[in-house]
Amino acid sequence: MDIAVLIKQVPDTETVIKIADDKKSIKTDDIKWIMNPYDEYAVEAALRLKEKAGGKVTIVSTGPQRVVESIRTALAMGADEGVLVDDPALEGSDVFGVAKALSAVVKELNPDVILCGHRAVDYDEGQRGAAVAEMLGLPHIPFAVAIDVDDGGSKVTVDRPVEGGKMTLEASLPVLITLGGAHAIWNPRYASLPGIMKAKKKPLATKTLADLGIDASEVGPDARKIKLVSMEMPPEREPGRIIDGDLDTDGKAKELVRILKEEIKIL
Amino acid sequence: MPQLLVDQRDVKFILYEQLQVQKLCEHPRFSEYSQEMFDMVIEQARKLAENEFYPTNRMGDREGVKFEDGVVKVPECYHKPYKLYCEGGWLSISDPIEVGGQGFPFVIGNAAIEFFSAANWSLMMYPGLTHGAARLLEKYGTPEQQELYMYKLFSGEWAGTMCLTEPNAGTDVGALTTKAIRRPDGNFNIVGQKIFISSGAHDLTENIVHMVLARIEGAPKGTKGISIFIVPRLRYADDGSLIDNDVTCTNVEEKLGIHGSATCGLSFGDNDNCIGYLLGEENRGMRIMFDMMNEARHFVGMQGVALGSAAYLHALNYAKERLQGVHYTQLKNPEAPRVPIIEHPDVRRMLMFMKSTIEGTRALLYYAAYCMDRAAIAETDEERDKFQGYVDILIPVCKAYGSDMGFRVCETAIQVYGGYGYCVDCPVEQYLRDCKIASIYEGTNGIQALDLVGRKIALRRGLLFKNILGEIERFIKWVSTNYRLRNEVKLFSQAKDYLVECTKFFALKGMTDEFFIPILYATPYLELFGDVAVGLMLLWQATVADQKLNEIFEDSSAKDKVSQAEVLRRNPTAAFYQGKIASARFFANNVLSLAGGKARAIMTGEKSVMEIPDNSFALP
Repeated sequence: MDIAVLIKQVPDTETVIKIADDKKSIKTDDIKWIMNPYDEYAVEAALRLKEKAGGKVTIVSTGPQRVVESIRTALAMGADEGVLVDDPALEGSDVFGVAKALSAVVKELNPDVILCGHRAVDYDEGQRGAAVAEMLGLPHIPFAVAIDVDDGGSKVTVDRPVEGGKMTLEASLPVLITLGGAHAIWNPRYASLPGIMKAKKKPLATKTLADLGIDASEVGPDARKIKLVSMEMPPEREPGRIIDGDLDTDGKAKELVRILKEEIKIL
Repeated sequence: MPQLLVDQRDVKFILYEQLQVQKLCEHPRFSEYSQEMFDMVIEQARKLAENEFYPTNRMGDREGVKFEDGVVKVPECYHKPYKLYCEGGWLSISDPIEVGGQGFPFVIGNAAIEFFSAANWSLMMYPGLTHGAARLLEKYGTPEQQELYMYKLFSGEWAGTMCLTEPNAGTDVGALTTKAIRRPDGNFNIVGQKIFISSGAHDLTENIVHMVLARIEGAPKGTKGISIFIVPRLRYADDGSLIDNDVTCTNVEEKLGIHGSATCGLSFGDNDNCIGYLLGEENRGMRIMFDMMNEARHFVGMQGVALGSAAYLHALNYAKERLQGVHYTQLKNPEAPRVPIIEHPDVRRMLMFMKSTIEGTRALLYYAAYCMDRAAIAETDEERDKFQGYVDILIPVCKAYGSDMGFRVCETAIQVYGGYGYCVDCPVEQYLRDCKIASIYEGTNGIQALDLVGRKIALRRGLLFKNILGEIERFIKWVSTNYRLRNEVKLFSQAKDYLVECTKFFALKGMTDEFFIPILYATPYLELFGDVAVGLMLLWQATVADQKLNEIFEDSSAKDKVSQAEVLRRNPTAAFYQGKIASARFFANNVLSLAGGKARAIMTGEKSVMEIPDNSFALP
């Protein structure tokens, strides 16, 4: 059973994000990049499926050469091959443009199962998986917290949460599943040192849009269906206010009520 | 989680910008490796250390080691991270592929070790000791011994120990009394008691392979008659099954710190049924054991650096969050708001002491590790001698200065936390307790100072010292071209001159009947040596950082102080470089500037310490 895992490289959650001068992007110097944590769950899920049903796990991503490090990390965890679509024309695409490129790669790979995180922790759009499934005409199961495959490798069973409860779904192959859950549910494995050494020798293909038969005008900033207008940082929190002066407890309470009523007007 | 263990940026700065270890990959030995792989190694080490080791640090300290019915159990939470560590191949990161290792440069393995050590030192001791035992087998074991034990140790399936100390033979190993009695089959029956054996008994692994120093019956007295034996807890029976080898744990020490590390008393051969297998030749035990000494002492120096690093980053984080007192410019203003304590000059001073000390000591230990790599891949004898010489002379400094300074940094971290730091609910007091042992075991720091003064400086008629001095002179020439660092270069250069003077003073005294003067002043001499070595590292780093910082200023057309300050505020890389320069500046002005006083104190050769009668210390 062959599996494709779509991964995205995102800023480390510890990185201090700064908005660039154009107000439409973030400053990328000095950002530490990591694999989107939900995609890391997808890599883990793919490796577990492979351990059970055999086959090959291919990591697919888009972006500049720095993304190679994230793909290699997935290869070091145990995936078999990688494909990176690195084309400057893709820069500034919206999710449709990215999904086009990913779909073209997936189509060539023709896998039985496609896995990815249900969202990425950068822009939190949550559309990539659904868009790829739509473009390829595949069933799409979101928010998986458990994935199993039957012995014949003909269908998958997926658990997903619903309003605190659980729903079990079944689908024939091929299928696209997005991963939900949390670190504690998937416990993605650590890359071992032998894994890191092997990863260096595993095939990692870099493709351009032309290689995939995509016209550059179909993607990129001009082809965006959704335009990013501006970004702003959350306002800096104002310092707390302490009621003091020479008031006793009773007086402080009265002053607090007055402020809540008259100044903040929430009473 | 903010970085609380090891400053990853600093590690990468040392590796790639200061030492340029990526160039090691040009050598055939490391041609399969790359900087990209090194980065992955560091990132995975950080992840595993933060997610799996660190959460067990406090737990293991509280729970401690349990000793019930003769069985020793490590803290329950240690099992999972230990298993992950072994599965990941971390135990043998820098060992040759042929023995089951991963073959990375030693300096890269060292960087990984710093992350794990900072996250949980007690836990790191188990694989640390195992690695030492495995290396002994690699170097001295017969092919059969290697087959039986070595691979299982390098993989962590079994654990190992070093059994030197006895109740009356600690620093004075030559006094040991454990006996090896010849058996008809050519092996030996081992009988004796060992104490303070780290990882001596535990339940992390099925079997433990002890490396035991003992005296074969009839062998000479003192260190010349000591042999070393492989003594597994479970030995192979004739049918290949594992049977008990009569090694008993008699007690587990209650200690100040490293509560998760099992420090055991071991009794060998209570029932005359403990078999030891000779490693290497008879009576060569000390020589063999000392072969591992450089690595083991470096490891303990890293303990100081790693625990100091974690203590510093915890204190830094706390100082940024803790509001207390008003800004020093507002002392008379009762309305002034409370500020984070990092605003207070004395707190900043403590943080700078910690930052510069840890960064400089880290660089020194990484440099020594890098020299081990360079010695290992040297293409000529001359080159090998040169780098091995650097290693040999630096090891006692790495061990003693690393552990002493690490401890002082831990102590300063508690000071930053104030009263809370002294309480067990704050994490830094554990670092202090865990760090203290580093100045004691693996040869006390007093012994390190004697090793430096009595052996290393004197070795080959002072050649090691002359070589490293030559390197320092070349270095001074290089950094002297940087006008902005002239004051630091001057202070460093003076400190170096004082060190040279002291060294000459010792050499002269050594030839007189006052030969005890170098012995008496060995410890302050090592401290001065450490100051100069760390000063060199920081100045080296500052020179690299200053150049890069000015490139950034030029790229951003920041010519005046105001626009440069803006760059420093907005660009973290620039801020990092500025921090490196600040470290060098602080250390030069606050530590190197004391070299003259320290040197004068040594060269007085003042003898009251020796002349005072014992009962004058305090009346009975």
